[in-house]
Amino acid sequence: MRMNEQNDILERARQAGQPFKTPEGYFDALEDRLMARISVEASKPAPTRRQRIWMAFKPALALAATFALIFGMGYGVLSLTHTLDGRKAADATAGYASAEEELIRHSSVINYYQTDDPAEAEEEIDEDTLIDFLTSEMSFSDLAEIYAQSF
Amino acid sequence: MNDRDILKLYREGGREEAFRLLVQTYKERLYWHIRRMVLDHDDTDDCLQNTFVKAWQSLDRFRGDAQLYTWLYRIATNESITFLTRQQTRGEYADLEAARRLSTDPWFDGDQLQMALHKAIAKLPPKQKAVFNLRYFDEMPYEQISRVLDTSEGALKASYHHAYEKVKAWVKEEIDEKY
Repeated sequence: MRMNEQNDILERARQAGQPFKTPEGYFDALEDRLMARISVEASKPAPTRRQRIWMAFKPALALAATFALIFGMGYGVLSLTHTLDGRKAADATAGYASAEEELIRHSSVINYYQTDDPAEAEEEIDEDTLIDFLTSEMSFSDLAEIYAQSF
Repeated sequence: MNDRDILKLYREGGREEAFRLLVQTYKERLYWHIRRMVLDHDDTDDCLQNTFVKAWQSLDRFRGDAQLYTWLYRIATNESITFLTRQQTRGEYADLEAARRLSTDPWFDGDQLQMALHKAIAKLPPKQKAVFNLRYFDEMPYEQISRVLDTSEGALKASYHHAYEKVKAWVKEEIDEKY
């Protein structure tokens, strides 16, 4: 035996021998016990074709079911998140629309002549009268100012 | 009677006699291999019986190109690893518990060094424990271990080296704590 091996703690442990024991007569009785168990197993009815197929596919089915569950959960979470985002987007669009309407209302040329009298507001002005008014009554600078305010 | 004779007898119709010969030839070697894996005698008995029942059920499909010895070791090792893994999955860590119970086990009469050794081996992962035991106790060549565990010789050498160093360190630690 080499010196290193003698000094090695694991070599000393190995040389100490077999520390395990068995009940007396264990090995002598083993064959008969085994044959008895084998005859019991042999007397059990063999699994039917359907049972064998089920046993063969069971692990694959379990795996598929797990994937389906994970996919379902993922899909549910994504759908929920999407719905919330959609609602937020709709609210935001509505906000933009009102802001735009507000801007149009304030910058409108028509609004410049807005009146509190509803009857007057509904009175129609024909195109010639309007052009006449603009060319005779309004100066270039007035028109430029109205144009600038409309943006 | 060697493996070839046992197989010949089995194929010629002497199934039960051949199987009895197979059990007689390999029962002790396989028992000690399983016992070092699972430690407890009753658990070893269960795994050993399962090993031989599986061998009986598939002996007619056994290919002659492998040795019976290697084939049986493979079944026994798989039974032991499955047993240990099932316990770990249940969260029982019964392998470590079994190692702790060695001090009161009536079927263990080792000294402190042997006790420390088996407690240390119990800390290894199941497959590495098989590599360590087959090499350290059974002194099985790497080429045969490779066939038993279906792992390359290079990987086995590395695994055994790491296991050896870990077990040695744990044994020293345990012995130094006590003395």
